[in-house]
Amino acid sequence: MTAAYDAPRPGEAIEGPRFAVTRETIRDFCDGSLDYNPLHLDDDFMRGRFGKTEFGGVIMHGMTNFGLITRMLTDWLYPRGGVHRRLETRWLAPVRPGDCIQPHAVVAAEKTTARSRWVSLDIEVRNQRGEQVARGEALVEFPPPAE
Amino acid sequence: MSAATESDFWKDADLRKTWDEIVPGEPRETVPYVLTLAAIQRYCRSVGDLNPLYFDEAYARTTPWRGIIAPPSIHILLMFACTPMHDWMRSPGTINAGQSWSYNIPARPGDTITLQARALDKFIKKDRLFVIHDNVFFNQANEVICSGRGWTIRPS
Repeated sequence: MTAAYDAPRPGEAIEGPRFAVTRETIRDFCDGSLDYNPLHLDDDFMRGRFGKTEFGGVIMHGMTNFGLITRMLTDWLYPRGGVHRRLETRWLAPVRPGDCIQPHAVVAAEKTTARSRWVSLDIEVRNQRGEQVARGEALVEFPPPAE
Repeated sequence: MSAATESDFWKDADLRKTWDEIVPGEPRETVPYVLTLAAIQRYCRSVGDLNPLYFDEAYARTTPWRGIIAPPSIHILLMFACTPMHDWMRSPGTINAGQSWSYNIPARPGDTITLQARALDKFIKKDRLFVIHDNVFFNQANEVICSGRGWTIRPS
């Protein structure tokens, strides 16, 4: 890890980890997050209707997307001396066992304020069919070296 | 009591507030939680994140963080670790529509985490019952770790 500021440029693309979703990974995320909602565990429950929505079977936690996006950002930031400051996401489509998802980011803008340097990124997660399952934006900081 | 070990979300389901009963602005009951290294690493493994900053104390001491920290997204665990079983975030069928979080300082192993949380707003859109929840996590020194809000679709 270094504190050198390797200035990202708008348009720079970041590829996150591919993540193959199975019932086991979903169960592991239940244990990791303590979120045991039957949405993620109970096929009988998931054969019901949720208002206008029918899932037909268990789905991955939306927050798994969030964790994978964070992993992508911190893997990119830590070696550059950057700090993850904000992430906003929306879930667009359910992810099911058998899917493989991957987060992506693109540097959107840079801004220098009185005290620091900031970079905004556009974020998305796509499945193995190329469908966007999550979308969002992040803000990261590259603090200037201590004087 | 902390719900940290309870995995049956049907338990106490009748005690949880429904969309009709949730009052925006009313604080949610929360419980302090001691974040362990094992809990951090269990969460990290669940998203395949084996960064040595979360696993290797000798390495972590050489970094600007000066020791093992939790990843920023540890609030995913803390949301359930810091709320009791009858909290409405556990209602079966609660659908997460999106979240936004801001990060101040990292959580560390051994931190005693507290949560201030409330429903901030509720509304009906496209025939769905939404609640926005608003949360701030603190460490034992009352320093903000992170703050965020989420949009959930409530079970009808």
